[in-house]
Amino acid sequence: MSGTMGTGTGKVAAATVADGGRRSFWGAVTASPAYDTMVDVLIASPRRQFVMLLMLPLVWVLLLHLGPMLQMLYVSVLDAYPATAGREPHLTLDNYGRFFREAIFVMPFMRTLVFSAVLTLVTLVLTYPVAYFLARHVKRDNQLVFLLLLLIPFWVGEIVRTFAIMILLGNNGAINLVLKTLGLIDRPVPFMYTGFSVSVGIIYLTALYMLLPLYSALEKLPASYTEAAADLGAGAWTRFRRVTLPLTLEGITSGCTLVFLISTGVYAVPVLLGGPSSTVFAETIAGFFHAAGDEWPTGAAFACLMFVAALAITAVFNRVMGHLQKWGRK
Amino acid sequence: MSRSSRLILSLIYWAFVVYVFVPLILMVMMGFKDSKFIGFPIKSWTLDWYLSVFRDAETINAFFYSLAIAFGSTAISLFVGTWIAVLLVGRSFPGRGLIFGLAILPALIPGIISAIAFRIYAQLWGVEPGMGAIIWAHAVHNVPFVMLVVSARLGTLPQSHIDAARDLGADPVVAFFRVTIPYLRPAMIGAGVFCLLISFDDFVRSFFLGGYEPTLPVLIFAKLRSGMSPEINAISSVVLLITAVLGIWAERSMRRLNKGS
Repeated sequence: MSGTMGTGTGKVAAATVADGGRRSFWGAVTASPAYDTMVDVLIASPRRQFVMLLMLPLVWVLLLHLGPMLQMLYVSVLDAYPATAGREPHLTLDNYGRFFREAIFVMPFMRTLVFSAVLTLVTLVLTYPVAYFLARHVKRDNQLVFLLLLLIPFWVGEIVRTFAIMILLGNNGAINLVLKTLGLIDRPVPFMYTGFSVSVGIIYLTALYMLLPLYSALEKLPASYTEAAADLGAGAWTRFRRVTLPLTLEGITSGCTLVFLISTGVYAVPVLLGGPSSTVFAETIAGFFHAAGDEWPTGAAFACLMFVAALAITAVFNRVMGHLQKWGRK
Repeated sequence: MSRSSRLILSLIYWAFVVYVFVPLILMVMMGFKDSKFIGFPIKSWTLDWYLSVFRDAETINAFFYSLAIAFGSTAISLFVGTWIAVLLVGRSFPGRGLIFGLAILPALIPGIISAIAFRIYAQLWGVEPGMGAIIWAHAVHNVPFVMLVVSARLGTLPQSHIDAARDLGADPVVAFFRVTIPYLRPAMIGAGVFCLLISFDDFVRSFFLGGYEPTLPVLIFAKLRSGMSPEINAISSVVLLITAVLGIWAERSMRRLNKGS
């Protein structure tokens, strides 16, 4: 949409003739004087065209992308919200202070961060060979079919997939049935309502967000690189460590970032699969919103704490990985 | 690559396929169990649970409620996401990076945090929990996704197409609607279907922004909390089927259109 601003003359002919002389929709529209005026006003100059184009996105991102986060930040420093009649809310940092004063909040917070980090690592180790196989061993024409096979289950929402895990791990679940049939156990193993069941559920939810970035990184890596390394006498492990791994660090970084951020905010999985020993911070935050309205500021403050902590960790991680990449290129 | 490592890798792949599919297959199977209790072994089988899904008014209502929300939010996301892509692709101006960053922000906010931020924001504007609030939350959540998919496609549109249209006398508006939009159509269809799926299956936003009427995932969640029966399996399996068919169709049509142009 650059170049000279031809508003007016030739376009009517172009739009009508394009459809074999018959008056098309665009022919009819562009023929009307109202359209002429409108176009003249809207795109009289590249500058005005740009301003027109800019307005909606700017309003949208400021109002709906940034707005909710800023409002949450604002509510987190109020002493009461929603405001009660006849009383002005005061600014306070007490909501944040509550996190550090009351020991019961620190544990779920730390658990969430450690859990998410460990699960991210586990997901990486689990999906890397899968992505590697897809990108390097499957014929190019078949790759999409193989990938599609893995994609289907991931389109189903978190509730349905969490429920599927309940059926797998329950006391009367499939795994316990298999173990019992094999005679390995007498009583069912209590997988459910533990950190283990939550972990299985979260990995089941997030594996795709690791797999796709890894796959696209591996797919871009030319096979000739590892072949060259092999010709130079590098063994399989050396080829992986010195060629494949360093050149897919970018995919690893984005996969890990995505999975980590998603894991910190998962709510349905810990509620349905977790127990008292595996309470995560998402449940703590949600708790303040089920109760009466005056707990909202604390919930908002805790959400801000969680978000800032998660972002800080991913920022540090991205920095480190960036250095590793640079260092690997030397 | 040696044959043994290839074999090991393919075993890992198929093990992963099994890991991904087995829970869902078990879930579908359990819907056929002729008993009120979920659990193995399944001794006798029945179709009743599946048949009752289509007779249960609560489920049917939740289904259409979710569907309406999905279509409403997808229409908004497609419109706004495409608009942002058109603004950002092939243009440099001060603040471009900032707008791009803000545009993808919703995709980076963890689920629970985005849900409650929206809950607070809806309160600020006096928006009651319910359909409208959910539609806006889903739309905002999906905009980054539409923007990225459409941008990728828009980046491959040859400038010569636009120039040709302009030489033939089309003004920028006509050129946009008759050249750019048709070129973007596969990306928009694909992104649209995935927005539909994401919105239809979303739980956390619908849960915190919902009023008394539940969306389908919220209904399943409520049923799960109040006691499990194979009825939930049947509902979930129907959701699974719809999702899979729509997803495969979108993937196929997107690829065919991409090849065709």
